[in-house]
Amino acid sequence: MKRFIPISLITFLIPLMMQGQTIKATQDIKSPELEIGIVEHLDEYIPDDLMLIDTTGQAVNLKQLIDKPTVLMWVYYRCPGICSPLMTSVAEVIGKTDLILGKDFQVITISFDAREGSDLAIRKRENYLNLIGKPVDESGWMFYTADSANIARGTEATGFRFKKAGNDFMHSAALIMISPDGKITRYLQGTYFLPFEFKMALIETSQGKSGPTIYKVLQFCYTYDPAGQQYVLNVTKVAGSLILIIALIVFLILVLKPRKKTTTN
Amino acid sequence: MTDFNNSHKEPNYLEYRGKYKGILGWITSTDHKRIGLLYFYSMMFFFLAGVVMGLLMKYELISPGEQIMGAQTYNGLFTLHGLTMIFLFVIPGVAAVFGNFFLPILIGAKDVSFPRLNLMSWYLYIIGAIVVLISQFIGDGPPDTGWTFYAPYSLKTNTNVVAAVTGAFILGFSSILTGLNFIVTMHRLRAPGMGWLRMPLFGWALYGTGWIQLLATPVVGITFLMVIAERLLGIGFFDPAIGGDPILYQHLFWIYSHPAVYIMILPAMGAITEIIPTFARKTIFGYTAIVISSMAIAFVGYFVWGHHMFTSGMSSTSRWVFSLLTFLVAIPSAIKVFNWTATLYKSSINLQTPFYWAIAFVFVFMIGGFSGLVLGSLATDIHVHDTAFVVAHFHYIVFGGTGFAFFGALHYWFPKMFAKVYNFKVANIGLIVFFIGFNMLYFPMFYLGLMGMPRRYYDYLPMFHSANILSTVGSWIMATGLLIIIINLIRARKGSGKEIDDPWDGKTLEWTIPSPPIVENFEQIPEVKHGPYEY
Repeated sequence: MKRFIPISLITFLIPLMMQGQTIKATQDIKSPELEIGIVEHLDEYIPDDLMLIDTTGQAVNLKQLIDKPTVLMWVYYRCPGICSPLMTSVAEVIGKTDLILGKDFQVITISFDAREGSDLAIRKRENYLNLIGKPVDESGWMFYTADSANIARGTEATGFRFKKAGNDFMHSAALIMISPDGKITRYLQGTYFLPFEFKMALIETSQGKSGPTIYKVLQFCYTYDPAGQQYVLNVTKVAGSLILIIALIVFLILVLKPRKKTTTN
Repeated sequence: MTDFNNSHKEPNYLEYRGKYKGILGWITSTDHKRIGLLYFYSMMFFFLAGVVMGLLMKYELISPGEQIMGAQTYNGLFTLHGLTMIFLFVIPGVAAVFGNFFLPILIGAKDVSFPRLNLMSWYLYIIGAIVVLISQFIGDGPPDTGWTFYAPYSLKTNTNVVAAVTGAFILGFSSILTGLNFIVTMHRLRAPGMGWLRMPLFGWALYGTGWIQLLATPVVGITFLMVIAERLLGIGFFDPAIGGDPILYQHLFWIYSHPAVYIMILPAMGAITEIIPTFARKTIFGYTAIVISSMAIAFVGYFVWGHHMFTSGMSSTSRWVFSLLTFLVAIPSAIKVFNWTATLYKSSINLQTPFYWAIAFVFVFMIGGFSGLVLGSLATDIHVHDTAFVVAHFHYIVFGGTGFAFFGALHYWFPKMFAKVYNFKVANIGLIVFFIGFNMLYFPMFYLGLMGMPRRYYDYLPMFHSANILSTVGSWIMATGLLIIIINLIRARKGSGKEIDDPWDGKTLEWTIPSPPIVENFEQIPEVKHGPYEY
């Protein structure tokens, strides 16, 4: 109990603090002239005919792969920079979240370097699946490559802008959340994700079609703050609802619970 | 109304000696009547302090330029005047004093449902008041934000906003607990035979008010907590510089503070509804319509807050919707005025002081109400927004409405509370002087506002001079009237005149018991057999 109070206090205060955090220059991110970075294509659908190459060398259609909430990320496997931290982070957050990989969601990693082949994808796949700290359905995290035409169309459709610099690329890091019907619902930018954020984004992506009721409660209480790029507790919405619910309970008790017999003296 | 007769065997609530004597006996008493009087005395203290502040401000405005205070002092003074009058006088107002004293008696109960909670409400009220007062003296000077604490200024000013906001937050709890107490009391403790539609209309007004207190006050409580959190911890709720939204503050503030106008005015209307049938010697016209209009005011009053923000940045759709709703909320108020007037039709009016107060109330309330429609319509609001017109309007509603009803109720129930009658002639003179002063003080402000004089400035252009002189002189006349009224009542209270049970021949339950009421109100809980105003 002693520990419970400070923990619950902190749990309440942290999202409150988050509400106040500022701002990672949203204008830059959203600007269409951006050369490198993410131009968010929220509520848009990914193309029907994007073809990828899987680790066995077979061509597969991206749209057909997406039958559940999907986390899509663009990397290149030789990347000396932020791709490895990004994938490590995803492996860690998969280990920490209580959503089940392969059942509740899947992860699709695609190389945007057309020179890379399946052999590299296989090595990365083994590497990062090992990093997940718990047994998982390994088919839930797939690693793909693609030809340059499909890369160009895929990155354009998802707003992922990168630029070649010598032998390497300049690019940013983000997870793109895609709903089972292929709609982009959320971008989580950066290379580090809190399990809570990751889960909230997936719950949102599942469009309430699956998951226990508590997910709906979470969705009601937390909203995505595009400026702070985090999920924050919606204080006013939660407080307003609590006030109405409590008042309704008071009213129902007064109306439904019979009066005590009043003594006449 | 009932067929029983109380004898004077039991001590009345003024004479009763409990565990403690003297002032301790009062501040530890859970008797609703004593708590009502505790509220009354403390509220009168704050009210008179607020009057003095108002007089000082009016004196400052007697001529252009600095008279007795500079801009900062004036800003501090109108903030404290607003805080005192709104949070310490009119919001608890009629409900806390006369609701506490008379609600249980009117419904045939011995006390409210939660007497200790009731006492705690008063303590919270006093603690809140003390914290508000402390804010004037500690830290970097008294708050200068106005009683609305608008963000982002309230977040940036160096003055002592946190203490004042904390005080208002505590006062909110007092209001919530009183509202809850009244609601439960009416649901649980009505006398046998008193169905909902046999309940006196003052009760209904308090019922509607109770729900507003319960639903709206927490909103402002949370808003004030957010202001405190933002000032102390830098959490960006309202300041755009750290990711907040100042318009959100206005929405949250007015979601409470507009319904709060109905917290002030509904019990006032309820008191007037008790006074009029007693002196018309006639059943109230349209009992059910008044009940419905009370509840309609309480309900629709929730959806009009946006009319305070027509010029603050809202979509045009929101603006006309809020404007339309504002016009709608005028309907139930008009129904009440219609019913009061219709009650007087073909009645045998007993012209007494409380009745004069009630009629004066209707007059000033209608001026307040109609000027509210000017502000509720979009085009005219833009012209008079933030001018003296607004100040005139809400003083006609809040002071003219609640204040007149408060003094009306006081003159009506005074003989019941203290078993004494005041000098009617002096009381009437006091009312006339007060009424003239009131209109002379506030009516010129309509004109000043229309001519473009902004509110909340200690100085003004020479073109506004003559109307301001009229207004300031009006404030002196009004204060004289107030003095006459108060001295007359104090003299009556202290005088050794003959004790009297009921000078008005009222029909509601409080007039069936001896004055002052005994501790448990009724020796035997009455059985109610008909409606409250059967003449």
